[in-house]
Amino acid sequence: MNVNIIEILNLKDKQLVELSKTNVLSLSLVEMKEVQKYFKNIKRNPTDVELETIAQTWSEHCKHKTLTGNIEYCEEKNGKKIIKKYKNLLKETIFKATVELNKKWCLSVFKDNAGVIDFDQKNGVAFKVETHNHPSALEPYGGSATGIGGVIRDILGVGLGAKPLANTDVFCFGHPDTKFSEVPEGMHHPKRIAKGVVSGVRDYGNRMGIPTVNGAVFFDKGYMANPLVYCGTMGIIPKNKTDKEVKSGDLVLVVGGRTGRDGIHGATFSSVELDKESDVSAVQIGNPIVEKKVLDTMLKARDLKLYRGVTDCGAGGLSSAVGELGEKTGVIVELEKVPLKYKGLNPWEIWISEAQERMVFAVPAKNKNKILNLFKKENVEATFIGKFTNDNKLTLTYNGRQVACMEMSFLHDGVPKPTRQAVWKEQNIKKQNPVKVSASVLSSDMKNVLSDINVCSRDYIIRQYDHEVQGQTVVKPLQGNSITNSGPSDAAVIWPYTVVKNTKKAIVLSNGLNPEYGKIDTYKMAASSIEEAVRNAVCVGADPEKISLLDNFCWGNPNKPEILGSLVRASQACYDLSKGFDIPFISGKDSLYNEYTIAGKTFSIPPALLISAMGVIENVEYTVTMNLKDVGNYIYLIGVTKNELGGSVYAKIKNIKGGFVPDLDVKISKALMKKIHFSVKSSFVEACHDCSEGGFITALSEMAFAGEKGVNIDADLIKVDDKKMTLAEVLFSESNTRFIVEVKPENSVNFEKIFKGHIFSKVGYVSDDKNLILVSKKSKISIKENIINLQKAWQKTLQW
Amino acid sequence: MIFEIEIKTKKGFSDPHGIHTVSEIEGIGIKGVKSVDYIAVYRISGGITVKQAEEIAFELLSDKITEDFCIKQYKTLEQKKIENNSIEVWFKTGVTDTVSESVSKAIKDLGINEEVAVKTGKKYRLKGELNTSKLKKIATRLLANTLIQEYLIK
Repeated sequence: MNVNIIEILNLKDKQLVELSKTNVLSLSLVEMKEVQKYFKNIKRNPTDVELETIAQTWSEHCKHKTLTGNIEYCEEKNGKKIIKKYKNLLKETIFKATVELNKKWCLSVFKDNAGVIDFDQKNGVAFKVETHNHPSALEPYGGSATGIGGVIRDILGVGLGAKPLANTDVFCFGHPDTKFSEVPEGMHHPKRIAKGVVSGVRDYGNRMGIPTVNGAVFFDKGYMANPLVYCGTMGIIPKNKTDKEVKSGDLVLVVGGRTGRDGIHGATFSSVELDKESDVSAVQIGNPIVEKKVLDTMLKARDLKLYRGVTDCGAGGLSSAVGELGEKTGVIVELEKVPLKYKGLNPWEIWISEAQERMVFAVPAKNKNKILNLFKKENVEATFIGKFTNDNKLTLTYNGRQVACMEMSFLHDGVPKPTRQAVWKEQNIKKQNPVKVSASVLSSDMKNVLSDINVCSRDYIIRQYDHEVQGQTVVKPLQGNSITNSGPSDAAVIWPYTVVKNTKKAIVLSNGLNPEYGKIDTYKMAASSIEEAVRNAVCVGADPEKISLLDNFCWGNPNKPEILGSLVRASQACYDLSKGFDIPFISGKDSLYNEYTIAGKTFSIPPALLISAMGVIENVEYTVTMNLKDVGNYIYLIGVTKNELGGSVYAKIKNIKGGFVPDLDVKISKALMKKIHFSVKSSFVEACHDCSEGGFITALSEMAFAGEKGVNIDADLIKVDDKKMTLAEVLFSESNTRFIVEVKPENSVNFEKIFKGHIFSKVGYVSDDKNLILVSKKSKISIKENIINLQKAWQKTLQW
Repeated sequence: MIFEIEIKTKKGFSDPHGIHTVSEIEGIGIKGVKSVDYIAVYRISGGITVKQAEEIAFELLSDKITEDFCIKQYKTLEQKKIENNSIEVWFKTGVTDTVSESVSKAIKDLGINEEVAVKTGKKYRLKGELNTSKLKKIATRLLANTLIQEYLIK
């Protein structure tokens, strides 16, 4: 056995920093001094096990020190400075909105492995999205596979365990056409990362028998050496299983995979910048077959009430999982009992290893044999390794010798709060010069936008995923008449009728992400992403009053005031929008320090906020898809088109300078969403699609080719707020709060009544000649494009 | 004794893994590779006999209809003759190899009770216009992640 006593009591500041660095503890000087103080008080030096445990528990990954720390924020606007102090950004923005909204249907928020909301009288639905960025940069296949494996375990580890129903995956990659010579040494080419990540998610998700139903991919050169991999899982849980209740005397049971040297320092590593010499042992490899067995068996054990608490081994391994379960009681663990993959692991390595597919249970002593037999019968390894106590201490032994003993309160609440500076300066943004183009240029622009890497079809990726397994996917990721004619669905709908017998209710999943806006203004990016996620859900039939959100921040180094300032802005937007929409956040996660160094120069990723929305639909029969349905139906554009080309796809491909990022009037947005939902419920809506990347004309093209129908549009009927807007600006503006809706002529009077008092217009009708015809007398332009050509433009880019 | 069992697609059947690899090689901008044969390799060490190795290859590792197997005695790197224009990829020691874990378990299920250790590798036989620098590019940019795998080329 190898346990070292680490000299810390007599170290000077410089030596403390050195110790933190050489042992990859990722603890700051202030934190190291706090550790030193604790051990001075108990008059001894720590063991390596203790020091590693503190580092894991206090890691950015586990404690979210930045979002919960002190921030001094300075905003410079119109030449004035406003200073604002936060004691806990998360609690004062995102979480505050949830508390203030106080929704009765929120069952468990921000405290467990996932957020849980009400589904029906007996069941709740849990949803969680995690990131696995750093591991995916190093080993794309294993990194993304363990990402999805980890978030599935979050769902298994919420309350007493939920049954996973669907996965969602969102990625940001570098540009796939990057030259090999531009890729820094030791890093993978963005295309290789993209392919590896997709394969990893595919293999793990498919083998688990969980459909992958929703996602997004965003390409930008800023993610070249630091891809973002967001993995999410939704599951269903009986309402009487949403709380854990660990009692003194309960036994600690570890179930599933064996422990090896995998992913040592994963949690602390995620707080370190990536460079060539990044620690290789942080790589984890997934084994879905083991996890699938754990899933099936533990749900049986749950229903037999054999345990009182469960959580997954994620970042920090056993140290975090056992520590969390025993936070209120205290716990003693005999490390030599943990089953190992191979010999030779030191006690501290056993304790913090991030080997995959492990869950920890709190089992009442009387159920000891029952639960062991159950797992044994299903060939799942399960081993008792310790006991929950009542001394509020974490005690670890190895072959009878005590190797760690610390107060739980020190571990969980002892981390000193740092104070960080944040600044934000308002940029002076001007409208772009008027964009005037001829009919032929407009035609080719339409196709170029459809072919753009951030708009084009993702069928290459989507079709690798099993989105049908479990047989409950009602609205699928691609919509249309056939495999060759399809368009992008706004959101996915799962009808969990195999789990909840005779239910009519369904669950909708969608997302919103647009880092392009964040390059200009992260407040507007956050606002737009929230609206996009909600808009997408409403498009397929979600009730905007029954939607909940998850936030996932991926940002650069928060020690840089500008970067932290942009994070504060985005968090403020989350609060404002959550309150404005009356839609609560139920869970979230942040991944900071997403930066990398090439040849001594540090690059930060473009900030990315993924908003994931989950809603409950009362009646699955009232859902709609985005493909056009019938010739002769009217086409409405709901909402106003503003001169907002800032951060748009069109601005990017035409290299347009300036332009406003889409703004948002939350009152109007909320009212329109309710009305869309009412129209869907009233069966007035044949098809509905939201306008986002690429604007109105892109969304309309998608609806047309997915439905194999032509359209006839009078562009002069589109309602704009600025009469000087050129046709190109009208067609490609990415203004928020716009829906394209197909309505049967006989329903049009009633449909229009619903929207009375709001800005909308009937802009055209569905035709039978398979052409998209658009006329603007005002601009003296008319366009006629075959929808098959539009579809080809959309499908050609991402065919690897 | 240490055996290396190689599993290869039979003549007349298509080798999807090999075909896919050809298109992936094109995808990273390397031209001139006409075809790739993919061979799965299992290195089994422990107290098993040749007969047992044959049983493992026939009953467990190969598909009797579409695949052939070949059992070789393991040679160290120095002894090993690597075939021309081939790339072998192996997990580095200590990296979790889930397939090998399953194979070890399945060998026990076959009724072979000797303690065995299994390692899995991949072998690619390439045909076309090739040279060492091309092979190295294919290995490092596509087939092996040198963080967790090592590769051999000739």
